[in-house]
Amino acid sequence: MDAPRVVLGVIGADCHSVGNKILDAFFSEAGFHVVNLGVMVSQDEFLDAAVESDAGAILVSSLYGHGLIDCEGLRQKAVERGLDRILLYAGGNLVVGKTAFEEVERKFKAMGFDRVFPPQVDLAAVAELLRKDLRSRKN
Amino acid sequence: MADRLLLSVDIGSTYTKAGLFLADGEDLRLVGRAARPTTVDDLGLGFAEVRSAALAGRPGVRPEDVPVYWSSSARGGLKIAAVGLTPDLTLSVARMAAASAGGKVVRAFSYELADDDLAGLRAVDPDIILFTGGTDGGNTRVILHNAARLAEAALPAVILYAGNGKVRDRVVDILRGRDVVTAANVMPEVNVIDIEPARDVIRRVFLERIVDGKGLSSVVAATGGGPLPTPLAVFELVRTIGERVPDWEDFALIDMGGATTDFYSHTEAFHGGDSVLLRGLREPKLKRTVEGDLGLRISAEALVRSEAAFLEARLAADGSDLDDLRRYAADVSRATEFLPAADRGRRLDATLAAACVRAASLRHAGVLQRVFTPQGGFQVQRGKDLRRVARLVGSGGYLSGAADSALLLEACAPGADDPDTRHLVPEAPACYADAEYLIPLVGNLATDFPAAAARAAVAGLRPLSSRAN
Repeated sequence: MDAPRVVLGVIGADCHSVGNKILDAFFSEAGFHVVNLGVMVSQDEFLDAAVESDAGAILVSSLYGHGLIDCEGLRQKAVERGLDRILLYAGGNLVVGKTAFEEVERKFKAMGFDRVFPPQVDLAAVAELLRKDLRSRKN
Repeated sequence: MADRLLLSVDIGSTYTKAGLFLADGEDLRLVGRAARPTTVDDLGLGFAEVRSAALAGRPGVRPEDVPVYWSSSARGGLKIAAVGLTPDLTLSVARMAAASAGGKVVRAFSYELADDDLAGLRAVDPDIILFTGGTDGGNTRVILHNAARLAEAALPAVILYAGNGKVRDRVVDILRGRDVVTAANVMPEVNVIDIEPARDVIRRVFLERIVDGKGLSSVVAATGGGPLPTPLAVFELVRTIGERVPDWEDFALIDMGGATTDFYSHTEAFHGGDSVLLRGLREPKLKRTVEGDLGLRISAEALVRSEAAFLEARLAADGSDLDDLRRYAADVSRATEFLPAADRGRRLDATLAAACVRAASLRHAGVLQRVFTPQGGFQVQRGKDLRRVARLVGSGGYLSGAADSALLLEACAPGADDPDTRHLVPEAPACYADAEYLIPLVGNLATDFPAAAARAAVAGLRPLSSRAN
């Protein structure tokens, strides 16, 4: 079986590249085929890459606090582009200030994200969730 | 003696031109030339005439003993329809592959092919359908759908499949009974371009299959070999000059004609640097774009429509207006051989030419945008950076006769945009004219004699100085 394909990138005008490289290395090592778009990625670039590569998930990072506005509308756009069943994950410093993570998670899920992660997270557990979610989406 | 003579012939849409070269040690020397009107009904007649004329001064030489290298852009050149998945990824790469193979993209399609699209394909009657989409292992749904649509459409064009490699066999199977060839995926991974394999197949298809339909088989019979599409001969010449001639690594060539303006560049697309970021496709070092709406005759009306804003401003500075130019464009688009004798025509031709050079350069070049982020100011580059282009060559009837560098330097126009956007056009290149019309005749020899052809081409250029008065 081919490695499951995921699209990875840092959304918006965000140039934090270190975490992006760590995620790329980690998920590749964990057996995923990572299409890494790097930093400052627009919504359309995420979606074009997912369409061309037939990816099962888009993993969106945001570290500069503008995640909410950058991610708004991504789900609707994905549906419009024919990516009805694609998984959307978001993680990082998604919102400026001291908003409780539960509140951030609620907002991102309301925007159509399947899973939302805080700044500190066990990547092995994320990979496990991703595998499970991808399997259940297939059926 | 005859074995050291080489004949190069280019069958253009209006003229068939020949150059007789002497392979003299490491050098190629032009020792004779001829031109005759292209004989559209039987291209072989014009070819035979021009060959005799080029060899006329050499009584001891039998024409059939002189090897012939030739190219053709007659009968519309090489017409390619590009099919991709998303407009900014595979379709954009497919366009690049088609242009780099010497073709002209006559129609382009993305996503699922609809009934209208198939009707459009039939209407433009392409020689090749370059069918791409999906990374390797990527999208299959749209690709297989489009394969089925192309199968049912039963068009006469050769279908070149260069999409998702994982479904290549299934695509070929669906298209069984059609004229199908395949090449490696033009975009095997997102943002990774691999157009050389598709280019090679397009070249082979042109040689082996399309030549007949273009009425070139009699020339193949007379020469024992097939032609290159003319722009491909130029493309290979640009490559060999860029690779082999000292100080010519970063250069560009503009070939402006009655129907199209072609822009070729040989320079690294992206130079990096602190806080400069490349977004989108990393373009190849050697790139050709062809603009079907930028031309001095057949395309003059399209040009006035596309570049109205620039033309209007330029004409106003001369105390003239767009209506007069529109009338002129309508006249010359129907009189494709027209050469102005009067002042008005010369002046309007110069204005049209400036618009062609400027727009072709702006479209070929990428942009750099200043972006303010919480981490400070960044610059985002999209497309190709031409700022290091140190030399700029003008070819084609009009540019070959340029008196000074003013017209070519229109390629350095900054473009009219917001102050945070900068077009990455050449900055201050030295300018040259292909005054001897050696391009593409030398280009035909570039594949077999790369070093000698590169030197001969550069030696034949005339340096242009700034405005003469």
